[in-house]
Amino acid sequence: MTDTTPLVRIDGISKSFGKTVALEALDLDIAQGEFVTFLGPSGCGKSTTLRILGGFETPDKGRVILDGQDVTKLPPDRRNVNMVFQDYALFPHMTVARNIAFGLELKGMGKSAIKARLDEIMSFLELDGFGDRYPAQLSGGQRQRVALARALAPDPALLLLDEPLGALDAKLRGQVQKELKSIQRRTDKTFFFVTHDQEEALTMSDRIVVMNKGRVEQDGTPEELYFHPASRFVAEFIGETNLLNGQVRGMEGDDVIMDWHGQTLRGHVAPGRKVAQGPVTASIRLERLGFGKERPATQNAVQGRVIGATFLGSRMALDLQVEGAADATLKAYVDTTTGTSLGDGPVWIGWDADSMAILND
Amino acid sequence: MPSDTAQIHQRPGTSETPTFWGRMTRWTPYRALVDVIYGSPRRQFLILAIFPLIWVLTQHLGPMMQMARVSLTSAYPVAPDTETFFTLEHYMKFFGDSIFWQPFFRTLAFAFVFTFCTLIITYPVAYFLARHVSRRNQMLMLLLLLIPFWVGEIVRTYAIMILLGNTGAVNLVLKTLGLIDRPIPFMYTSFSMGVGTVYLTALYMLLPLYSALEKLPKSYNEAGADLGAGAWTRFRRITLPLTLEGIGSGCTLVFLISTGFYATPVLLGGPSTTVFAETIAGFFHVAGDQWPTGAAFATIMFLAALALTAMFQRIIKAMRKGDAR
Amino acid sequence: MTRGNRIFMACIYWAFVLYVFVPLILMILMGFKDSKFIGFPIRSWTLDWYTGVFNDGAVVSAFGYSIAIAVLSTLVSILVGTWIAVLLEGRKFVGRAVIFGLAVMPALVPGIISAIAFRIYARGLGIEPGMGAIIWAHAVHNVPFVVLVVMARLSTLPKSQLEAARDLGADPMVVFLRITLPYLIPAIVGASIFCLLLSFDDFVRSFFLGGYDPTLPVLIFAKLRSGMSPEINAIATVALVVTAAIGIWAERFTRRMNKDSQS
Repeated sequence: MTDTTPLVRIDGISKSFGKTVALEALDLDIAQGEFVTFLGPSGCGKSTTLRILGGFETPDKGRVILDGQDVTKLPPDRRNVNMVFQDYALFPHMTVARNIAFGLELKGMGKSAIKARLDEIMSFLELDGFGDRYPAQLSGGQRQRVALARALAPDPALLLLDEPLGALDAKLRGQVQKELKSIQRRTDKTFFFVTHDQEEALTMSDRIVVMNKGRVEQDGTPEELYFHPASRFVAEFIGETNLLNGQVRGMEGDDVIMDWHGQTLRGHVAPGRKVAQGPVTASIRLERLGFGKERPATQNAVQGRVIGATFLGSRMALDLQVEGAADATLKAYVDTTTGTSLGDGPVWIGWDADSMAILND
Repeated sequence: MPSDTAQIHQRPGTSETPTFWGRMTRWTPYRALVDVIYGSPRRQFLILAIFPLIWVLTQHLGPMMQMARVSLTSAYPVAPDTETFFTLEHYMKFFGDSIFWQPFFRTLAFAFVFTFCTLIITYPVAYFLARHVSRRNQMLMLLLLLIPFWVGEIVRTYAIMILLGNTGAVNLVLKTLGLIDRPIPFMYTSFSMGVGTVYLTALYMLLPLYSALEKLPKSYNEAGADLGAGAWTRFRRITLPLTLEGIGSGCTLVFLISTGFYATPVLLGGPSTTVFAETIAGFFHVAGDQWPTGAAFATIMFLAALALTAMFQRIIKAMRKGDAR
Repeated sequence: MTRGNRIFMACIYWAFVLYVFVPLILMILMGFKDSKFIGFPIRSWTLDWYTGVFNDGAVVSAFGYSIAIAVLSTLVSILVGTWIAVLLEGRKFVGRAVIFGLAVMPALVPGIISAIAFRIYARGLGIEPGMGAIIWAHAVHNVPFVVLVVMARLSTLPKSQLEAARDLGADPMVVFLRITLPYLIPAIVGASIFCLLLSFDDFVRSFFLGGYDPTLPVLIFAKLRSGMSPEINAIATVALVVTAAIGIWAERFTRRMNKDSQS
């Protein structure tokens, strides 16, 4: 991604439906070849953003720039953007081949060019031999691939995907996630993916934008979002986490020193961010806690005891209580061997400053 | 896989002639047309709406309004060199002579009775179809009943004439069984009219009843039985109230249709069963200029039918509300 | 429900089937009676009435006249009804309820009143009684059925289909021609058949708006008024066979279409 001008620039768009605010002054750049996921609960504005990019809604304010051209007011048929719909929206009265050729015909391509393109895209998506079938004769996974083929065929600059895996059963979904990611890599297309499923977002995306109430909560790589959530909303929406409510004592470089039930802990903030003294919430992922009989060498260490253990097969979930503070509880995931060896006695719980994110609110 | 990447980015050649849709959407007059129609959502709506609006106003509402207008005019069709004026005399005529208002009330009474008969006859049939027949057979058995209803009004009226005539099938059977010596004169009475009307309208009752009963979950009745309600109580307290809407629309349809019958009473009825439709038609057959009177009478009948069905709908609504409490 | 009750209900159903079929069967049988006198019992049989009917120019031309009227009025009804349905379905605007009410009104006006109103209106427009007037009256009367059937079908068209077509580069006109219209075909075919039958069977409007040439129902009516004869049975039977055959075919056709689009 050496190109400095972004493929898509979303410039301060706002959108309201009646009294409901769907989007509030959203700014976002998307680079060519990126797999960007908009993640959030329903009604967070992610679908509205997608529909604005597709041309199905016009923003009340702001502009959408695609490939250097202002497309804010262009209808869907005049933009070089295609979409994979949630219900696939395959045309039931057309064969698979006619479905895929639909966009090509309207692009003004000739018969033999369409034929060549069809062969190419269908073999690329492993749809050979399905050309004469009707959508009703296909399985869910096949329909999903046809929808993808139909949207990719006209060679759009940007591909929009509106929760396209929602209709698939859980088993198939994992496989399709991998396929989708691989297709995106191989075509080097820009994918704009919308979902409410955090797992889906984490496995496929280069970049995740977490939305809440029409605003961006956080924008970053899956790892950043997972380990360094910026807000309580992100920490809770993605994965499971321990939220530690404490008091800020001060800062040392990018580390925040906080007090939590009489324990002094060290947390991490993004470089350059300053945290003022006062109440604060920190997040530490369940699997980031380490255990030992002796005080571990990690920057943070507290003594506690196991008050509950749940066997989950591949791992164990532990409920812990910090010594001397009834309110200070933690949850942790450990492997089964460690979990069973801990027993009832006091244990040391340790974690690095880097794994504990200090939240904005 | 870099080779795939290269392939998928290959731009197809554009030198070839586009296919049909490609050509059409590139054709300048077509594009101009699309730009005109879909230029703005407002214009698009106007272009879409203008024809239906004109049509329903002039073709659907127009005839009724014109009929009302003519009914208030002194003479129509207007003879040359004559002045016409507003008058209520055609309406006054209706109240003036029993030869006019008797058929009117007879029509309404007949329509009431026949509608009720249709309801009583078709309800068990619809109930049986919706409740006691498997899904697959339901459609077949319903279709069996639909077939005769594709046959026209006149043909079916004639079939009733043959059934009920003095030398008809019913009299033949009764005679063969030794129940009667002389044929019973069924024809040209209110009885034959009733049989004919029910025969012609049963479908319009059956279908709404069937769809109302079919929508009703069987579990309601089972719950009722579980709570100790007998068959009759279950029907009265559960099935009947929940199918009131179907009963309402079926009765409305049948009532409106049977008030409008003309050929059936002419063919099946006699001098003592003259209905208002025949009275109205009379004004259009005779050579004299009696159209305004006919129009006035038709208007009276239309308003009466509307008022009665509206009243009926309100009663049904009130009954449903009452039950919801 | 008890077993006895169930059997009782079944009896009512089959009794109703008899009530519906017996008169028609008797009427058909009477057309083969070898006597001018209508009535039972039938002692000898003949096909003469049928040969007579097919050689009767008046009957044959009434038949053709009825079919021509049915086809032409159906074309008008379908065009107008579909247009109105497309306007009304899934759109909110001031006066929508009024337009919908007016659109279905002709189906609810009692037969004789609608015939009279059409008669007066045709006179006002200067349309002479005859084929044109009948076609017009049938077309207007049948529009509501088209509107209702097409609206019902249109309401099940997923909006995403239309958006997907737009997304792939289709302008609204192409979307209508390639997505909406094909989706409506089963409804349009069903409604067409219904209109054809309504028009072919209609008596009261054809009677009041007709000129010198009678449609088939009007011809049968006229013949009935001058006395019953097995000839009428033969004519009625031919009409019956035609309508019932179209009806059954349409029923099967729409069922198959619906099945296809659902699977």
